[in-house]
Amino acid sequence: MSYFLARRIAGFLLTLFVVSIVVFAVMNVLPGDPALTILGLDSTEEARAALRGRLGLDEPVVQRYLAWIGGALHGDLGQSYSFDVPVSGLIAERLPLTLSLAVSGMALTIGLALTMGLTAAARHGRAGDWAIMLLSQLGIAVPAFWLSMLLVLLFAVKLRWLPPGGFPGWGDPVAAARSLVLPTVALALVQSAVLARVTRSAALEVMRQDFVRTARATGFAPRHVLWRHVLPNALVPIVTIVGLQFAGLVTGTIVIENVFYLPGLGRLLFQSIANRDLITVQALVMLFAAIVVTANFLVDIAYVVIDPRLRAQRA
Amino acid sequence: MIALRGLCVRTGTGHLAVRDVDLTIQAGQRLGVVGESGSGKTMLALSMMGMVPDGLQVEGQVLVDGHSIAAEDERAWRSHRARSVAMIFQEPMAALNPLVRVGDTIAEPLRRHLGLSRRDARARALNLLEETGIPQARRRLDQYPHELSGGQRQRVLIALALACDPQLLIADEPTTALDAQVALRITDLLVRLSQERRMGLLFISHDLAAVSRTTSDIMVMYGGDVVERGRTASVLSAPEHPYTRGLLAARPSLMTRSRRLPTIPGTVPQLNALAAGCRFAGRCARELPICASRRPPLSPTETGQAACHLLGAQA
Amino acid sequence: MTARLPANILIGAVLVALVAGAAVLSAVWTPYPYAAIDVANKFAAPSATHWLGTDQLGRDLVSQLMAAAGNSMTVAVVAVGIGCSVGTVLGLLAAARGGWVEEIIMRLSDLGFAFPALLFAIMLAAAFGPSLSMVVIAIAFINIPTFARVSRAAANQIWRREYVFAARAAGMSSFAISRDHVLPNIAAPVIVQATIEFAVAILVEAALSYLGLGAQPPAPSWGRMLAEAQTLMYLAPQLAIWPGMCIVTAVLGFGLLGDGLRDISDPRLARQRSA
Repeated sequence: MSYFLARRIAGFLLTLFVVSIVVFAVMNVLPGDPALTILGLDSTEEARAALRGRLGLDEPVVQRYLAWIGGALHGDLGQSYSFDVPVSGLIAERLPLTLSLAVSGMALTIGLALTMGLTAAARHGRAGDWAIMLLSQLGIAVPAFWLSMLLVLLFAVKLRWLPPGGFPGWGDPVAAARSLVLPTVALALVQSAVLARVTRSAALEVMRQDFVRTARATGFAPRHVLWRHVLPNALVPIVTIVGLQFAGLVTGTIVIENVFYLPGLGRLLFQSIANRDLITVQALVMLFAAIVVTANFLVDIAYVVIDPRLRAQRA
Repeated sequence: MIALRGLCVRTGTGHLAVRDVDLTIQAGQRLGVVGESGSGKTMLALSMMGMVPDGLQVEGQVLVDGHSIAAEDERAWRSHRARSVAMIFQEPMAALNPLVRVGDTIAEPLRRHLGLSRRDARARALNLLEETGIPQARRRLDQYPHELSGGQRQRVLIALALACDPQLLIADEPTTALDAQVALRITDLLVRLSQERRMGLLFISHDLAAVSRTTSDIMVMYGGDVVERGRTASVLSAPEHPYTRGLLAARPSLMTRSRRLPTIPGTVPQLNALAAGCRFAGRCARELPICASRRPPLSPTETGQAACHLLGAQA
Repeated sequence: MTARLPANILIGAVLVALVAGAAVLSAVWTPYPYAAIDVANKFAAPSATHWLGTDQLGRDLVSQLMAAAGNSMTVAVVAVGIGCSVGTVLGLLAAARGGWVEEIIMRLSDLGFAFPALLFAIMLAAAFGPSLSMVVIAIAFINIPTFARVSRAAANQIWRREYVFAARAAGMSSFAISRDHVLPNIAAPVIVQATIEFAVAILVEAALSYLGLGAQPPAPSWGRMLAEAQTLMYLAPQLAIWPGMCIVTAVLGFGLLGDGLRDISDPRLARQRSA
C-alpha cells in the first residue's frame, strides 16, 4: 500500500514539475521578449528595458524559473502587472466564486448523471433508455456557452425568473445563489451527458454479474439493488470519467464565467489576457493545470479506496 | 408449502422451455431435479422465484401457501423472495458482491426485511454463519468474498439464503464449481439444514450421486418435460424411462472406471427443434413409431411416474 | 451482422455530409459575400432573399453560416490531421522500439492529460496573441498524445501477430514492418479516433472563437457569431439560435459517426452488445 502510494505521489509531483516547465516555457521563453508582449509593439525600448529590469527578465532563464516556482511554493505568485497587486491576492479574492461554481456544478453533474445512467440501465432497451441516450447524445454535442445563452434567453429574457448574468457579491447570499443557478445548470447539463453514458454502460456490465441475481433473489427492490449493489461495482469506470471530466469542468468554469460575467478565476484569466498581464495569466494557467493533475492523481488513489480487491493486490 | 400447477415457460419464439410441470414441495421435503443442461431445470427454479429472464413468459400457477402469485406481479414476488423461497446458485465465486463484507451481506436482508438493528443483525449473521459450519465464523464477518475459498463462499450464500427463514431453499447446481470433498460437505450441510429447520429443499443437479445423497424424491427432466419422478432411491435403482437409464449408465463409478463411459448419443435438442411428440425421440435407443408424433403422459410405474410410450407397450 | 448500417452511422454520415457540403460549397459560392454589410437591411426576417434573415449589420446569415462551416472544418482538418500524423508516428515508433523509447513517449503523452485543449489554447493565445492559427496549433498539440496512445495500443497488438514474426524472420526492418504491416492494420482505430477528435476540435474552435481567442473579425466563425449575438440577446434572440444549431449538427454528426464506426470496427464491443 505505502509503496503504491509513494510511487503515485512521486509520479504526481513529477508531472506537476514538468507541467510547470511547460507553462513557464510557453509563457516566458517562447514568445521571445515578454516585455514586448506586455507593453505592445508601439512601446519604447526604454520602457521595455525598465520593465525587464522590474520583472527580473534579464536574469538567466533557469534562475527566473527557480525564482517563479520557489515563490509559488511560498504562495508568492508575483505582482500583477495590470492590477499592481499580488497575484495571490487576486486569486484568493476570486477563488470562492469559482470554487462554488465548480463544486455545485460537479455535484449536480454527478447527481444527474448517476440518476440518468442508472435509470437507463434499469430500463435497458426500452423507451426510457432510448430517450435518455438520445438526450445525452445531444448533450455531448451542445457547447456549454450556447446552452448558457439558450438558458438565459428562456429563464432571464423571456420568463425573467433568474438574472442573465453578473454577480451581486456574497453579501446577499440569496441573490448570490440565484445568480449561480443558470451557470451551474449549464455546466452540469453538458458535463453529465458523457458521465450518464459511462454510468449506463458500466451499470449494464455489472448487472450481468451473478451477485446482482443474488441480490434480487434476496428480495431487494430494484432501486436498492441498483444503488447499493450495482453502482458501487460500476464506480471504477465512473470515477475515471469523473476525474477526466474535472478537466472539462475546469475549462467549463472558465468559459461559463465569461458567459455570465461572473468575477471568478476564469474571468480574471480573460481580463489578464486582454491586459497582457502575463504574470497573472501564467499563475492562473499553472493553477488550472495543477487542479487537473491533482484530480487525475486523486482518481488513481480513489480506485484503491473503492475496491478492496485492488487494496489487497497493491498492498 | 410451495406448489406448481401446469407450469410452462414460453420463450420469445413461442417454444416451451418448461412444459406442464405439477409439483408440490412439503415442509422438510428434499426434491432433486435432474437433467442435462437445457432440460429446463434452472428455468423451473427461476419461475419459482419469479425471476424468469425478460422475454420469457410463465404460464400456469405458482402457489405459495396456497396463494397463486402472478408472474408479472414483481412486488408480490419481492415480498416472497428470501422469506418464502430462497435460492443459491452455481458459482459461489461470482454470486457475492465483491465490495461488501460478508457480515454486511448477510445482515442486509435481516435489517431491510426483518427490521433488525445493526447490532442484532450482526449477531444473527454470526449465528447463521455458525449454523453453516464455516470455520472461524466471527472472523469471516469482516472479510471480503475474495478472501474466502469457494466452499466458504457457498456457505456464506447459504447463510444469506437462510436469513429470512424461508420455507423452501432452491439450490441450483450448488456444488458444480466446487471440488469433490467440499461438494460432499455442502450437500450434507443442505440435508442437515433441511431436516433441522423443516425447510423444503429443491436440489438441482446433473450429478446423480449428489442427488441420491441429498434428496428423498427425484424428478428427471428432459427438454422441458418431466420424464420420470418418484422416490430417489427407487428411481435410481430401477429407472423406468430410457432417458433416466441413459443418465445412470453414463454415470462414472468405481466399477466402470477402466471402461469407456457409455454416453447418450446426440445432445439435448435446440428448443425450436422440439417436436410435438416425446422430446427424447430421436436420441432414444428404444424409440417406437408413435414417439415422434404423440407426447407420452406421466403414468404410474412401480417406483413413481414416468412419461414413456414403452410403459404402455409393456402393460 | 446484417448488411444494414447502424442508425448512428447513417444519421452521423448525413449530418457530416451536410456540414462538409456547406463548407466546400462556401469556398466557391455563398448566396451573398459573407461579410457584405447592408445596414439598411439589418435584422431582416427570414425571406426569399435572405433565407434565415440578416444580422445587426445586415449581413446574410446563411452566407455567414456557410463560410463559418468552411472555417470550422478547415481548423478541424488541419489540426486533427497534424495531431493524428505526428501522434500515430510516435505511437508506431513506441510500439516498434519498445523499451525506454516507448517509456519516454508514453510518459510525455501523459502530460497531454494535464492540459485540456481549451486551457492550452488559452495559454498560447495569451503568449502569442489570439489567432486562428494558435487554435490550430493548440488542438493539434493536444491531439498528439491521444493518437500516440491509440496507435501504440493497436500497434502493440499487431506486433504480436504471426505475419509480423514472419516478416521479421524474413529480415524486414522494423521501419518497413511498421509501414507495410502495422500501419494498415491500425488504420481502423486511428480513423475512429480521428472522427471523434473532429467533433472535439469543432467544439474547441467554437468555444475559443466565442471567447475572442480564435477567429478574429471579420473571419466568419460560429463561435464568434454567438459572441456577437449575446450582446443582442434582448434585441434579436434569433441570432443566437442558428450558429448554435450548426455547431450541434457538426459535433453530433462526427460524434455519431465515430461511435458507429467504433462499434463496427471493434468486434469486442459488438459482442458485448449482442450478449
